[in-house]
Amino acid sequence: MSAEDSNPAATPTPCVDTQGDGRWMSLHNHFVSNSKDKEPDVLFVGDSLVQLLHQFEVWRELFSPLHALNFGVGGDATQHVLWRLSNGELAHISPKVVVLWVGTNNHGHTAEQTCGGIMAIVQLIKDKLPNAQTVILGLLPRGKMPNPLRDRNARVNKLVQEAVSSLPHASLLNHCYHQMSLIVAFVCLAPLEFD
Amino acid sequence: MSGDEMNPAAVAQAVVDVQGDDRWMSQHTRFVLECKDAEPEVLFIGDSMVQLMQQYEVWRELFSPLHALNFGIGGDTTCNVLWRLQNGELDNIWPKVAVVWVGTNNYEHSAEQVAGGIFAIAQLLTSRLPKTKVVVLGLLARGERPNPLREKNAAVNGLLRSLLPQLGQAQFLDVGEGFVHSDGTISTRDMFDFLHLTSAGYRAIAKPLSDLLLQILEETPEERRASLV
Repeated sequence: MSAEDSNPAATPTPCVDTQGDGRWMSLHNHFVSNSKDKEPDVLFVGDSLVQLLHQFEVWRELFSPLHALNFGVGGDATQHVLWRLSNGELAHISPKVVVLWVGTNNHGHTAEQTCGGIMAIVQLIKDKLPNAQTVILGLLPRGKMPNPLRDRNARVNKLVQEAVSSLPHASLLNHCYHQMSLIVAFVCLAPLEFD
Repeated sequence: MSGDEMNPAAVAQAVVDVQGDDRWMSQHTRFVLECKDAEPEVLFIGDSMVQLMQQYEVWRELFSPLHALNFGIGGDTTCNVLWRLQNGELDNIWPKVAVVWVGTNNYEHSAEQVAGGIFAIAQLLTSRLPKTKVVVLGLLARGERPNPLREKNAAVNGLLRSLLPQLGQAQFLDVGEGFVHSDGTISTRDMFDFLHLTSAGYRAIAKPLSDLLLQILEETPEERRASLV
């Protein structure tokens, strides 16, 4: 088990504002204060794939009814999500399920490091929300044709699958047609299993 | 106006694939292919502000019916758009209108340079397509609160207002009104990350834009005469 500080993907790191309008921190603060008066059953957290989900009709149809909050930030890698969850985004809520979708932006990190980052987030969620289930979504293929990032994402998924196989509080949903409907089923079942 | 070779924002430049999946080039190649069969009346070109518009309902409702093509790529600067236009994305198409929306990603460049880059794009379009009207959209405010990028984008818009009339076929359209509230903040209801528009945000800008496009499309006398033959 590598120490957290030897894996950059598992070291909580805020995003530095290189552009000049402080949007990453604005969003983080927004999520923290947003969570103060909400009681979500489901929390979605991750990168742009999570963030963009919130913009489409499917969110209103499938996830709003589950009382879901969306803490997705475009461009985030595992170390950024780790920082956000360590700095207030979990402080005021107790969702039954956390849906975690992050890793495709971990450029420069190996598949092993990225898996380590994802598992560090899973551990953090367990520490802060002992009764929550974490559903990790598998990284999607990307790029028009086969390329190294597809290989890397597939390897991350494989490593995560192995890592969660022994954990009762976490599971991996790899990309499949019924991925999202499984999450709905999960949330509906959760109160029966984890009260 | 300084010569183009002195303005880095007016130098055509392809995006280098640093991530490893070559998506920028894949998208460019796809657009070049689209030019072979499409007969668009309206061409949209620019960055993610253009690209994302196609993902929302408003595109189907207001712009598809105008036979519009969307050549937006997230992250693009004026340099990238110039390169794409010079390398195939204008081949075999003769749109009546080209809508240009780019500049907010030009982080390395000053407001003057960005305005010069956008002007260079408008110049390229009017010289390649002399019958095409060019509509340049103003850069939107960004960030939750007042910040240097808002000032820069506003400065770019100010410069474009005076530069574009030099090109008879080009005009400037400001669609940014209403996004900044009286307390200086931008709402996530309009820009979900204080930069990219929500569905509601696009609805707000689509109306004045589609009104202008309809007006321009109705104005072209050659087509009207041709249809009477």
